[in-house]
Amino acid sequence: MLEVSGLSVRYGRHLALENAALKIGQGEIVVVLGANGAGKSTLIKAIAGLVAPDPGARVMLDGQALHRLPAYRIVDAGLALVPEGRHLFSTLTVAENLSLGAFLPRTRQKADESRDLVFGIFPKLEQRLTQVAGTMSGGEQQMVAIGRAIMTRPRVLLLDEPSLGLSPLLTAELFRALPSIARTGMSVLLVEQNTHQSLAISDRGYLIEKGVICGQGTASELLASETVQKAYLGS
Amino acid sequence: MFMNAVLTGLTLGGVYALVAMGLTIQYGVSRTMNLAYGEFLIAAAFAAFVLFSTLGISPYLLALGIVPVSFLVSLFVYRVMAMPLVRRAKSAMSLEIDSLLLTFGLLFAMMGVMLLIFGSNYTNYSYMARPVRILDATVSANRLLSFAAALVVGALCWLLLMRTRTGAALRAVAVDPVGARLVGIDVQWAAGLAFAIGGAIAALGGVLISTYLTFTAEMGVVFTMKALIVVIMAGVGHVPGALISGLVLGFVESFVAAYLDPGLTVAVIYAVFLVVLLVRPSGIFGKVAR
Repeated sequence: MLEVSGLSVRYGRHLALENAALKIGQGEIVVVLGANGAGKSTLIKAIAGLVAPDPGARVMLDGQALHRLPAYRIVDAGLALVPEGRHLFSTLTVAENLSLGAFLPRTRQKADESRDLVFGIFPKLEQRLTQVAGTMSGGEQQMVAIGRAIMTRPRVLLLDEPSLGLSPLLTAELFRALPSIARTGMSVLLVEQNTHQSLAISDRGYLIEKGVICGQGTASELLASETVQKAYLGS
Repeated sequence: MFMNAVLTGLTLGGVYALVAMGLTIQYGVSRTMNLAYGEFLIAAAFAAFVLFSTLGISPYLLALGIVPVSFLVSLFVYRVMAMPLVRRAKSAMSLEIDSLLLTFGLLFAMMGVMLLIFGSNYTNYSYMARPVRILDATVSANRLLSFAAALVVGALCWLLLMRTRTGAALRAVAVDPVGARLVGIDVQWAAGLAFAIGGAIAALGGVLISTYLTFTAEMGVVFTMKALIVVIMAGVGHVPGALISGLVLGFVESFVAAYLDPGLTVAVIYAVFLVVLLVRPSGIFGKVAR
Protein backbone atom coordinates (compact mmCIF):
# COMPACT_ATOMS: atom_id res chain seq x y z
CA MET A 1 0.00 0.00 0.00
CA LEU A 2 2.48 2.69 1.19
CA GLU A 3 6.01 2.11 -0.02
CA VAL A 4 8.87 4.44 0.87
CA SER A 5 12.39 4.08 -0.48
CA GLY A 6 15.57 6.14 -0.85
CA LEU A 7 14.31 8.82 1.53
CA SER A 8 17.10 11.14 2.68
CA VAL A 9 16.69 14.53 4.34
CA ARG A 10 19.34 17.16 4.97
CA TYR A 11 19.08 20.16 7.27
CA GLY A 12 21.89 22.30 5.91
CA ARG A 13 24.93 20.02 6.07
CA HIS A 14 23.44 17.72 8.66
CA LEU A 15 22.09 14.47 7.23
CA ALA A 16 19.03 13.84 9.39
CA LEU A 17 17.72 10.84 7.51
CA GLU A 18 19.68 8.52 5.23
CA ASN A 19 18.19 6.32 2.55
CA ALA A 20 15.17 5.24 4.58
CA ALA A 21 12.82 2.57 3.26
CA LEU A 22 9.65 1.08 4.72
CA LYS A 23 6.38 -0.58 3.75
CA ILE A 24 2.92 -0.59 5.24
CA GLY A 25 0.06 -2.84 4.21
CA GLN A 26 -3.64 -2.02 4.36
CA GLY A 27 -5.07 -1.96 7.90
CA GLU A 28 -1.65 -2.52 9.37
CA ILE A 29 -0.27 -0.67 12.41
CA VAL A 30 3.45 -0.05 12.05
CA VAL A 31 5.62 1.70 14.61
CA VAL A 32 9.00 3.36 14.08
CA LEU A 33 11.01 3.27 17.30
CA GLY A 34 13.95 5.46 18.08
CA ALA A 35 15.47 7.80 20.61
CA ASN A 36 15.19 11.60 20.61
CA GLY A 37 16.87 13.05 17.53
CA ALA A 38 17.13 9.70 15.76
CA GLY A 39 15.24 11.05 12.75
CA LYS A 40 11.76 9.70 13.51
CA SER A 41 9.96 13.01 13.10
CA THR A 42 11.99 13.86 10.01
CA LEU A 43 11.00 10.55 8.44
CA ILE A 44 7.30 11.09 9.03
CA LYS A 45 7.41 14.77 7.98
CA ALA A 46 9.23 13.90 4.76
CA ILE A 47 6.59 11.30 3.91
CA ALA A 48 3.84 13.90 4.49
CA GLY A 49 5.67 16.52 2.42
CA LEU A 50 6.32 18.96 5.25
CA VAL A 51 10.09 18.79 4.70
CA ALA A 52 11.69 18.34 1.28
CA PRO A 53 13.70 15.13 0.79
CA ASP A 54 16.84 14.81 -1.35
CA PRO A 55 16.37 13.76 -4.98
CA GLY A 56 15.91 10.03 -5.46
CA ALA A 57 13.24 9.65 -2.81
CA ARG A 58 10.17 7.60 -3.64
CA VAL A 59 6.93 7.67 -1.66
CA MET A 60 4.30 5.56 -3.39
CA LEU A 61 0.71 5.19 -2.15
CA ASP A 62 -1.16 2.49 -4.10
CA GLY A 63 0.99 3.25 -7.13
CA GLN A 64 0.61 7.03 -6.91
CA ALA A 65 3.81 9.03 -6.46
CA LEU A 66 3.48 11.37 -3.48
CA HIS A 67 7.07 12.63 -3.39
CA ARG A 68 6.43 15.15 -6.17
CA LEU A 69 3.28 16.64 -4.60
CA PRO A 70 3.03 19.63 -2.24
CA ALA A 71 1.77 18.83 1.28
CA TYR A 72 -1.82 19.89 0.65
CA ARG A 73 -2.08 17.58 -2.40
CA ILE A 74 -0.65 14.66 -0.42
CA VAL A 75 -3.64 15.01 1.92
CA ASP A 76 -5.97 14.74 -1.07
CA ALA A 77 -4.10 11.64 -2.23
CA GLY A 78 -5.02 9.91 1.03
CA LEU A 79 -2.23 10.42 3.52
CA ALA A 80 -2.89 12.37 6.72
CA LEU A 81 -0.42 13.47 9.38
CA VAL A 82 -1.05 14.26 13.04
CA PRO A 83 2.09 16.28 13.71
CA GLU A 84 4.09 16.86 16.82
CA GLY A 85 2.52 19.83 18.55
CA ARG A 86 -0.79 18.87 16.90
CA HIS A 87 -1.28 22.19 15.05
CA LEU A 88 -4.98 22.37 15.87
CA PHE A 89 -6.97 25.49 15.00
CA SER A 90 -6.76 26.45 18.64
CA THR A 91 -9.14 29.43 18.63
CA LEU A 92 -11.84 27.49 16.77
CA THR A 93 -14.27 24.99 18.28
CA VAL A 94 -13.96 21.20 18.13
CA ALA A 95 -16.80 21.12 15.61
CA GLU A 96 -15.04 23.68 13.39
CA ASN A 97 -11.75 21.79 13.63
CA LEU A 98 -13.47 18.59 12.54
CA SER A 99 -15.35 20.20 9.66
CA LEU A 100 -12.14 21.81 8.40
CA GLY A 101 -10.80 18.25 8.29
CA ALA A 102 -13.46 17.63 5.64
CA PHE A 103 -12.37 20.69 3.63
CA LEU A 104 -11.44 18.85 0.43
CA PRO A 105 -14.20 18.19 -2.14
CA ARG A 106 -13.38 14.46 -1.99
CA THR A 107 -14.24 14.37 1.72
CA ARG A 108 -16.99 16.97 1.97
CA GLN A 109 -19.90 14.75 0.94
CA LYS A 110 -18.75 12.14 3.44
CA ALA A 111 -18.42 14.65 6.32
CA ASP A 112 -21.36 13.28 8.35
CA GLU A 113 -20.23 9.71 7.89
CA SER A 114 -16.65 10.69 8.83
CA ARG A 115 -17.88 12.49 11.94
CA ASP A 116 -19.72 9.34 13.08
CA LEU A 117 -16.53 7.39 12.47
CA VAL A 118 -14.60 9.82 14.69
CA PHE A 119 -17.26 9.69 17.43
CA GLY A 120 -17.14 5.89 17.28
CA ILE A 121 -13.43 6.01 18.06
CA PHE A 122 -13.47 8.97 20.47
CA PRO A 123 -16.99 9.15 22.00
CA LYS A 124 -15.81 11.97 24.30
CA LEU A 125 -15.56 14.42 21.42
CA GLU A 126 -19.29 14.31 20.72
CA GLN A 127 -20.02 16.09 24.00
CA ARG A 128 -17.29 18.66 23.47
CA LEU A 129 -18.23 19.94 20.02
CA THR A 130 -18.77 23.54 21.10
CA GLN A 131 -15.60 23.77 23.19
CA VAL A 132 -12.73 25.91 21.87
CA ALA A 133 -9.96 23.45 20.98
CA GLY A 134 -7.18 25.44 22.65
CA THR A 135 -8.88 25.19 26.05
CA MET A 136 -8.85 21.37 26.14
CA SER A 137 -6.39 19.11 27.92
CA GLY A 138 -3.45 17.64 26.01
CA GLY A 139 -5.09 14.24 25.67
CA GLU A 140 -8.34 15.71 24.41
CA GLN A 141 -6.48 17.90 21.93
CA GLN A 142 -4.68 14.82 20.64
CA MET A 143 -8.09 13.19 20.07
CA VAL A 144 -9.29 16.27 18.15
CA ALA A 145 -6.08 16.22 16.08
CA ILE A 146 -6.51 12.53 15.22
CA GLY A 147 -10.22 13.13 14.62
CA ARG A 148 -9.44 15.99 12.25
CA ALA A 149 -6.98 13.77 10.38
CA ILE A 150 -9.59 11.00 10.09
CA MET A 151 -12.04 13.56 8.64
CA THR A 152 -9.68 13.85 5.63
CA ARG A 153 -10.50 10.14 4.99
CA PRO A 154 -6.90 8.98 4.65
CA ARG A 155 -5.79 5.54 3.59
CA VAL A 156 -2.70 6.00 5.72
CA LEU A 157 -2.66 7.90 9.02
CA LEU A 158 0.72 9.12 10.28
CA LEU A 159 1.11 9.91 13.97
CA ASP A 160 4.14 11.78 15.28
CA GLU A 161 4.67 10.75 18.91
CA PRO A 162 1.01 10.83 19.89
CA SER A 163 1.83 9.94 23.51
CA LEU A 164 4.19 12.89 24.00
CA GLY A 165 3.17 14.90 27.06
CA LEU A 166 0.21 12.65 27.92
CA SER A 167 -0.29 10.92 31.24
CA PRO A 168 0.16 7.10 31.23
CA LEU A 169 -3.60 6.71 31.62
CA LEU A 170 -4.36 8.91 28.60
CA THR A 171 -1.58 7.26 26.59
CA ALA A 172 -3.16 3.86 27.23
CA GLU A 173 -6.57 5.22 26.21
CA LEU A 174 -5.10 6.69 23.03
CA PHE A 175 -3.24 3.52 22.06
CA ARG A 176 -6.38 1.47 22.63
CA ALA A 177 -8.09 3.59 19.97
CA LEU A 178 -5.52 2.81 17.27
CA PRO A 179 -6.58 -0.81 16.57
CA SER A 180 -10.16 0.38 16.13
CA ILE A 181 -8.91 2.91 13.58
CA ALA A 182 -6.98 0.18 11.74
CA ARG A 183 -10.06 -2.07 11.71
CA THR A 184 -11.84 0.50 9.50
CA GLY A 185 -9.23 -0.27 6.83
CA MET A 186 -6.90 2.67 7.50
CA SER A 187 -3.21 1.92 7.89
CA VAL A 188 -1.44 3.57 10.81
CA LEU A 189 2.22 4.55 10.89
CA LEU A 190 3.37 5.99 14.18
CA VAL A 191 6.73 7.04 15.50
CA GLU A 192 7.21 6.58 19.23
CA GLN A 193 9.61 6.47 22.10
CA ASN A 194 7.07 4.63 24.18
CA THR A 195 8.30 1.18 23.12
CA HIS A 196 6.25 -1.19 25.28
CA GLN A 197 2.85 0.32 24.78
CA SER A 198 3.30 1.03 21.09
CA LEU A 199 4.61 -2.46 20.26
CA ALA A 200 1.69 -3.94 22.18
CA ILE A 201 -0.79 -2.54 19.66
CA SER A 202 1.40 -2.70 16.52
CA ASP A 203 1.69 -5.41 13.90
CA ARG A 204 5.25 -4.58 12.89
CA GLY A 205 8.01 -2.20 13.78
CA TYR A 206 11.16 -0.52 12.48
CA LEU A 207 14.13 0.66 14.52
CA ILE A 208 15.82 3.93 13.64
CA GLU A 209 19.12 5.22 14.95
CA LYS A 210 21.12 8.29 13.87
CA GLY A 211 18.96 8.74 10.78
CA VAL A 212 19.32 5.14 9.58
CA ILE A 213 16.70 2.41 9.75
CA CYS A 214 18.72 -0.33 11.43
CA GLY A 215 16.23 -3.07 12.13
CA GLN A 216 12.72 -4.33 11.59
CA GLY A 217 10.43 -7.17 12.53
CA THR A 218 7.01 -8.16 13.75
CA ALA A 219 5.96 -6.63 17.05
CA SER A 220 6.48 -9.89 18.92
CA GLU A 221 9.92 -10.42 17.36
CA LEU A 222 10.97 -6.92 18.39
CA LEU A 223 9.63 -7.33 21.91
CA ALA A 224 11.69 -10.51 22.24
CA SER A 225 14.82 -9.25 20.49
CA GLU A 226 17.92 -8.53 22.51
CA THR A 227 18.86 -5.27 20.77
CA VAL A 228 15.44 -3.82 21.47
CA GLN A 229 15.57 -5.05 25.03
CA LYS A 230 18.88 -3.30 25.53
CA ALA A 231 18.36 -0.14 23.56
CA TYR A 232 14.73 0.67 24.18
CA LEU A 233 13.30 -1.35 27.01
CA GLY A 234 16.04 -0.61 29.48
CA SER A 235 16.66 -4.12 30.73
CA MET B 1 -22.98 70.31 17.44
CA PHE B 2 -23.14 67.03 19.35
CA MET B 3 -25.29 65.30 16.74
CA ASN B 4 -23.08 66.68 14.00
CA ALA B 5 -20.02 65.18 15.65
CA VAL B 6 -21.82 61.85 16.08
CA LEU B 7 -22.80 61.72 12.43
CA THR B 8 -19.34 62.75 11.21
CA GLY B 9 -17.75 60.21 13.54
CA LEU B 10 -20.08 57.44 12.46
CA THR B 11 -19.63 58.02 8.74
CA LEU B 12 -15.85 58.45 8.97
CA GLY B 13 -15.49 55.58 11.45
CA GLY B 14 -17.47 53.27 9.17
CA VAL B 15 -14.99 53.78 6.35
CA TYR B 16 -12.01 53.47 8.74
CA ALA B 17 -13.46 50.22 10.02
CA LEU B 18 -13.74 48.91 6.47
CA VAL B 19 -10.20 49.96 5.57
CA ALA B 20 -8.78 48.43 8.77
CA MET B 21 -10.66 45.20 8.08
CA GLY B 22 -8.86 44.94 4.74
CA LEU B 23 -5.46 45.31 6.39
CA THR B 24 -6.24 42.82 9.13
CA ILE B 25 -7.39 40.23 6.57
CA GLN B 26 -4.22 40.81 4.54
CA TYR B 27 -1.86 40.50 7.47
CA GLY B 28 -3.79 37.88 9.45
CA VAL B 29 -3.76 35.36 6.60
CA SER B 30 -0.69 36.17 4.50
CA ARG B 31 1.54 37.40 7.37
CA THR B 32 2.73 40.11 5.00
CA MET B 33 2.38 43.52 6.65
CA ASN B 34 1.58 45.75 3.70
CA LEU B 35 3.14 49.16 4.32
CA ALA B 36 1.95 50.26 0.87
CA TYR B 37 -1.67 49.64 1.91
CA GLY B 38 -2.52 53.36 2.02
CA GLU B 39 -0.97 53.81 -1.45
CA PHE B 40 -3.53 51.40 -2.86
CA LEU B 41 -6.21 53.52 -1.18
CA ILE B 42 -4.86 56.82 -2.56
CA ALA B 43 -4.29 55.34 -6.03
CA ALA B 44 -7.95 54.32 -6.08
CA ALA B 45 -8.95 57.82 -4.92
CA PHE B 46 -7.00 59.34 -7.83
CA ALA B 47 -8.48 56.83 -10.25
CA ALA B 48 -11.97 57.82 -9.09
CA PHE B 49 -11.05 61.52 -9.40
CA VAL B 50 -9.68 61.18 -12.94
CA LEU B 51 -12.46 58.94 -14.22
CA PHE B 52 -15.17 61.05 -12.59
CA SER B 53 -13.73 64.29 -14.01
CA THR B 54 -13.33 62.91 -17.54
CA LEU B 55 -16.30 60.57 -17.86
CA GLY B 56 -18.70 62.08 -15.32
CA ILE B 57 -19.67 58.62 -14.05
CA SER B 58 -20.68 58.30 -10.38
CA PRO B 59 -17.68 57.26 -8.23
CA TYR B 60 -19.86 54.57 -6.66
CA LEU B 61 -20.27 52.98 -10.09
CA LEU B 62 -16.57 53.52 -10.86
CA ALA B 63 -15.77 51.51 -7.72
CA LEU B 64 -17.18 48.47 -9.52
CA GLY B 65 -14.27 48.77 -11.95
CA ILE B 66 -11.55 50.15 -9.66
CA VAL B 67 -11.99 47.56 -6.92
CA PRO B 68 -11.44 44.49 -9.16
CA VAL B 69 -8.36 46.16 -10.68
CA SER B 70 -6.90 46.66 -7.20
CA PHE B 71 -7.76 43.03 -6.40
CA LEU B 72 -5.76 41.86 -9.42
CA VAL B 73 -2.83 44.23 -8.80
CA SER B 74 -2.61 43.05 -5.18
CA LEU B 75 -2.76 39.42 -6.29
CA PHE B 76 0.05 40.17 -8.74
CA VAL B 77 2.10 41.86 -6.00
CA TYR B 78 1.70 38.82 -3.76
CA ARG B 79 2.23 36.10 -6.37
CA VAL B 80 5.12 37.75 -8.21
CA MET B 81 6.86 39.90 -5.59
CA ALA B 82 6.12 38.34 -2.19
CA MET B 83 6.12 34.64 -3.19
CA PRO B 84 9.87 34.43 -3.85
CA LEU B 85 10.36 35.74 -0.30
CA VAL B 86 7.93 33.14 1.06
CA ARG B 87 9.80 30.37 -0.76
CA ARG B 88 13.22 31.34 0.52
CA ALA B 89 12.16 32.32 4.07
CA LYS B 90 13.96 30.30 6.72
CA SER B 91 11.60 31.32 9.51
CA ALA B 92 8.34 33.19 10.04
CA MET B 93 10.31 36.08 11.50
CA SER B 94 12.65 36.47 8.52
CA LEU B 95 9.62 36.39 6.21
CA GLU B 96 7.96 39.21 8.15
CA ILE B 97 11.08 41.37 7.92
CA ASP B 98 11.63 40.63 4.22
CA SER B 99 8.04 41.41 3.36
CA LEU B 100 8.15 44.63 5.39
CA LEU B 101 11.13 45.75 3.31
CA LEU B 102 9.32 44.76 0.11
CA THR B 103 6.15 46.70 0.88
CA PHE B 104 8.19 49.63 2.23
CA GLY B 105 9.85 49.86 -1.18
CA LEU B 106 6.51 49.44 -2.92
CA LEU B 107 5.18 52.37 -0.88
CA PHE B 108 7.85 54.71 -2.30
CA ALA B 109 7.49 53.36 -5.83
CA MET B 110 3.72 53.87 -5.86
CA MET B 111 3.95 57.26 -4.17
CA GLY B 112 6.64 58.36 -6.64
CA VAL B 113 4.52 57.42 -9.63
CA MET B 114 1.54 59.29 -8.21
CA LEU B 115 3.65 62.37 -7.44
CA LEU B 116 4.95 62.28 -11.00
CA ILE B 117 1.46 62.18 -12.48
CA PHE B 118 -0.52 64.36 -10.05
CA GLY B 119 2.10 66.44 -8.23
CA SER B 120 1.80 67.11 -4.52
CA ASN B 121 -1.33 69.30 -4.80
CA TYR B 122 -4.38 68.72 -2.69
CA THR B 123 -7.05 67.14 -4.81
CA ASN B 124 -10.78 66.96 -4.35
CA TYR B 125 -13.93 66.88 -6.42
CA SER B 126 -17.56 67.45 -5.70
CA TYR B 127 -20.05 64.62 -5.97
CA MET B 128 -23.37 64.47 -4.08
CA ALA B 129 -22.14 67.16 -1.70
CA ARG B 130 -25.65 68.35 -0.83
CA PRO B 131 -26.58 68.36 2.88
CA VAL B 132 -29.01 65.88 4.39
CA ARG B 133 -30.78 66.71 7.66
CA ILE B 134 -30.90 63.99 10.29
CA LEU B 135 -32.15 64.77 13.83
CA ASP B 136 -31.19 68.46 14.01
CA ALA B 137 -27.85 67.83 12.33
CA THR B 138 -26.66 67.97 8.77
CA VAL B 139 -24.40 65.53 7.02
CA SER B 140 -23.47 65.45 3.35
CA ALA B 141 -25.13 62.87 1.13
CA ASN B 142 -21.78 61.50 -0.08
CA ARG B 143 -20.71 60.74 3.51
CA LEU B 144 -23.96 58.89 4.16
CA LEU B 145 -23.76 56.91 0.93
CA SER B 146 -20.11 56.05 1.56
CA PHE B 147 -20.99 54.86 5.05
CA ALA B 148 -23.78 52.70 3.65
CA ALA B 149 -21.43 51.21 1.06
CA ALA B 150 -18.85 50.47 3.77
CA LEU B 151 -21.54 48.73 5.85
CA VAL B 152 -22.73 46.59 2.95
CA VAL B 153 -19.24 45.53 1.85
CA GLY B 154 -18.16 44.96 5.46
CA ALA B 155 -21.17 42.69 5.97
CA LEU B 156 -20.45 40.82 2.73
CA CYS B 157 -16.84 40.21 3.76
CA TRP B 158 -18.01 39.03 7.15
CA LEU B 159 -20.37 36.54 5.48
CA LEU B 160 -17.58 35.41 3.16
CA LEU B 161 -15.29 34.76 6.12
CA MET B 162 -17.78 33.12 8.44
CA ARG B 163 -20.22 31.32 6.14
CA THR B 164 -18.27 30.06 3.13
CA ARG B 165 -15.75 27.30 2.61
CA THR B 166 -13.27 29.80 1.22
CA GLY B 167 -13.73 31.90 4.35
CA ALA B 168 -13.17 28.86 6.54
CA ALA B 169 -9.93 28.17 4.66
CA LEU B 170 -8.76 31.76 5.17
CA ARG B 171 -9.55 31.62 8.89
CA ALA B 172 -7.81 28.26 9.20
CA VAL B 173 -4.63 29.65 7.61
CA ALA B 174 -4.78 32.68 9.91
CA VAL B 175 -4.98 30.45 12.99
CA ASP B 176 -2.44 27.76 12.02
CA PRO B 177 -0.84 27.59 8.55
CA VAL B 178 0.68 24.14 9.20
CA GLY B 179 -2.65 22.81 10.42
CA ALA B 180 -4.26 24.24 7.28
CA ARG B 181 -1.83 22.38 5.02
CA LEU B 182 -2.60 19.17 6.91
CA VAL B 183 -6.30 19.35 6.01
CA GLY B 184 -5.50 19.98 2.35
CA ILE B 185 -5.67 23.78 2.13
CA ASP B 186 -3.27 25.40 -0.34
CA VAL B 187 -1.80 27.99 2.03
CA GLN B 188 -0.10 30.02 -0.71
CA TRP B 189 -3.36 30.29 -2.61
CA ALA B 190 -5.17 31.41 0.58
CA ALA B 191 -2.47 34.00 1.36
CA GLY B 192 -2.64 35.43 -2.17
CA LEU B 193 -6.43 35.57 -2.02
CA ALA B 194 -6.41 37.35 1.35
CA PHE B 195 -3.84 39.84 0.09
CA ALA B 196 -6.00 40.52 -2.97
CA ILE B 197 -9.19 40.91 -0.88
CA GLY B 198 -7.36 43.38 1.34
CA GLY B 199 -6.17 45.35 -1.69
CA ALA B 200 -9.71 45.43 -3.07
CA ILE B 201 -11.06 46.74 0.25
CA ALA B 202 -8.34 49.44 0.38
CA ALA B 203 -9.37 50.57 -3.10
CA LEU B 204 -13.03 50.72 -2.12
CA GLY B 205 -12.08 52.77 0.93
CA GLY B 206 -10.12 55.11 -1.33
CA VAL B 207 -13.04 55.65 -3.69
CA LEU B 208 -15.47 56.23 -0.81
CA ILE B 209 -13.17 58.68 0.99
CA SER B 210 -12.37 60.57 -2.23
CA THR B 211 -16.00 61.68 -2.49
CA TYR B 212 -15.72 63.85 0.63
CA LEU B 213 -12.09 64.22 1.75
CA THR B 214 -9.25 66.18 0.21
CA PHE B 215 -6.29 63.97 -0.60
CA THR B 216 -2.73 64.20 -1.94
CA ALA B 217 -0.30 61.74 -3.49
CA GLU B 218 1.69 61.69 -0.26
CA MET B 219 -1.22 60.89 2.03
CA GLY B 220 -1.19 57.10 1.70
CA VAL B 221 1.01 56.66 4.73
CA VAL B 222 -1.56 58.49 6.90
CA PHE B 223 -4.17 55.88 6.03
CA THR B 224 -1.69 53.03 6.48
CA MET B 225 -0.88 54.38 9.96
CA LYS B 226 -4.53 54.81 10.90
CA ALA B 227 -5.42 51.33 9.65
CA LEU B 228 -2.39 49.92 11.45
CA ILE B 229 -3.41 51.64 14.69
CA VAL B 230 -6.91 50.22 14.42
CA VAL B 231 -5.57 46.73 13.62
CA ILE B 232 -3.05 46.70 16.46
CA MET B 233 -5.52 48.26 18.89
CA ALA B 234 -8.07 45.57 18.06
CA GLY B 235 -5.60 42.68 18.13
CA VAL B 236 -3.98 41.56 14.88
CA GLY B 237 -6.22 39.39 12.70
CA HIS B 238 -9.34 40.10 14.76
CA VAL B 239 -11.94 41.19 12.19
CA PRO B 240 -14.88 42.26 14.42
CA GLY B 241 -12.38 43.99 16.69
CA ALA B 242 -11.04 45.98 13.75
CA LEU B 243 -14.58 47.04 12.82
CA ILE B 244 -15.35 48.27 16.34
CA SER B 245 -11.97 49.99 16.80
CA GLY B 246 -12.33 51.65 13.39
CA LEU B 247 -15.67 53.13 14.42
CA VAL B 248 -14.19 54.31 17.72
CA LEU B 249 -11.32 55.98 15.85
CA GLY B 250 -13.82 57.83 13.66
CA PHE B 251 -15.70 59.08 16.74
CA VAL B 252 -12.51 60.16 18.50
CA GLU B 253 -11.47 62.11 15.42
CA SER B 254 -14.79 63.87 14.94
CA PHE B 255 -15.28 64.71 18.64
CA VAL B 256 -11.75 66.04 19.08
CA ALA B 257 -12.18 68.11 15.93
CA ALA B 258 -15.54 69.46 17.10
CA TYR B 259 -14.82 70.15 20.78
CA LEU B 260 -11.05 70.63 21.05
CA ASP B 261 -9.17 71.47 17.89
CA PRO B 262 -8.98 69.78 14.48
CA GLY B 263 -5.18 69.95 14.69
CA LEU B 264 -5.17 67.72 17.76
CA THR B 265 -6.94 64.69 16.23
CA VAL B 266 -3.79 62.78 15.33
CA ALA B 267 -2.22 63.51 18.73
CA VAL B 268 -5.30 62.28 20.59
CA ILE B 269 -5.51 59.16 18.43
CA TYR B 270 -1.93 58.29 19.27
CA ALA B 271 -2.59 58.97 22.96
CA VAL B 272 -5.54 56.55 22.92
CA PHE B 273 -3.38 54.04 21.04
CA LEU B 274 -0.61 54.36 23.62
CA VAL B 275 -2.98 53.87 26.55
CA VAL B 276 -4.52 50.79 24.94
CA LEU B 277 -1.09 49.27 24.32
CA LEU B 278 -0.01 49.98 27.89
CA VAL B 279 -3.09 48.33 29.34
CA ARG B 280 -3.51 45.52 26.80
CA PRO B 281 -0.28 44.90 24.88
CA SER B 282 -1.87 42.39 22.50
CA GLY B 283 -4.86 44.61 21.70
CA ILE B 284 -8.33 45.05 23.14
CA PHE B 285 -9.63 41.83 21.59
CA GLY B 286 -6.29 40.05 21.31
CA LYS B 287 -5.38 37.07 23.41
CA VAL B 288 -3.51 38.02 26.55
CA ALA B 289 0.14 37.20 26.05
CA ARG B 290 1.43 34.51 28.34
